[in-house]
Amino acid sequence: MKKLEFKGIKFLAIVSIVYLMVFMFDLENGLVGFEYFTNIIIKLLPIFLFIIILTTLINYFLQPKKMMKHFGKDSGKKGIFYMLLGGTLSHGPMYAWYGMLEDMRKHGAKDGLIVIFLYARAIKLPLLPFMIGIFGITFTIIINIYILIFAILQGKIMDSFMDKSIDNKKEN
Amino acid sequence: MKQENKKNNNNNNGTPTIKKAFVGALKNFISTLPMIIAITGLIGLFQTYITPSMLSNLFGFSDISDTLIGTFTGAISSGNGAVSYVVAEGLKAQGVSIYALSAFILAWVTLGFIQIPAESSIFGVRFTLIRNILALFSTILISYLAVVTAGIFV
Repeated sequence: MKKLEFKGIKFLAIVSIVYLMVFMFDLENGLVGFEYFTNIIIKLLPIFLFIIILTTLINYFLQPKKMMKHFGKDSGKKGIFYMLLGGTLSHGPMYAWYGMLEDMRKHGAKDGLIVIFLYARAIKLPLLPFMIGIFGITFTIIINIYILIFAILQGKIMDSFMDKSIDNKKEN
Repeated sequence: MKQENKKNNNNNNGTPTIKKAFVGALKNFISTLPMIIAITGLIGLFQTYITPSMLSNLFGFSDISDTLIGTFTGAISSGNGAVSYVVAEGLKAQGVSIYALSAFILAWVTLGFIQIPAESSIFGVRFTLIRNILALFSTILISYLAVVTAGIFV
């Protein structure tokens, strides 16, 4: 079984130092910031649980071979569709999903599909009524269609960049 | 003994048991916790020091500059997506253009300057750089195209 390798330890150390300095020089705002932080973490707890369950199901049902089939090099339109759907339905901040996406990538998912997932997150189904309230229904439909189109375009461009870098490595 | 352990962790067809799949998922999540805590901590400070009224002072010069400022401010203001709509509503009341508002909301969700160190530590610098540049240009283009297209239909 793989060992635990913590990600972002240095980053956390830097943020902790920043907090210490804020506490020293501006305690009042520092405490407000810390309260924001704890509130966000508490709100994220159910999302964390959901992500762990989802990753468990992916680990269980999508072994590398299946992962390659659905999200690998030859996954085609099906892979794009799954990632668009996943991105659209995903809740919470982007960084909460990094772990699951990293796992999928390690098991053979294409970089382009990861990019598609991350951009399709711009469509927030629960927030659509707010969007319609601000922009109107026509604009909301149009912008969401563009988001899907540009998510796919970004995925294609990312794959072409990554393919080139693999080709260059092979040549060298 | 080792073989027995292997049998416990995997079924006959090589599929891991649900317990092994869960432990793997839990370990994967725990390994990203320092990064999640660091980003959330930074967001807490950003929400304290960068207020919506400070953001609204940056807009109102021209559609192009508003779009670019909308993209930039959206990218630096991470947090709950719902907050971006509340801020956008306030900006709209102050007469900020639709170009800027749509760029602001899109950038808020898809870009994240705060998240770049974490994203690159997980996916690599090259992937992070390409993805963020693509997302940046897409956000600006989508905002422009959506307004132009909506103008045709309305």
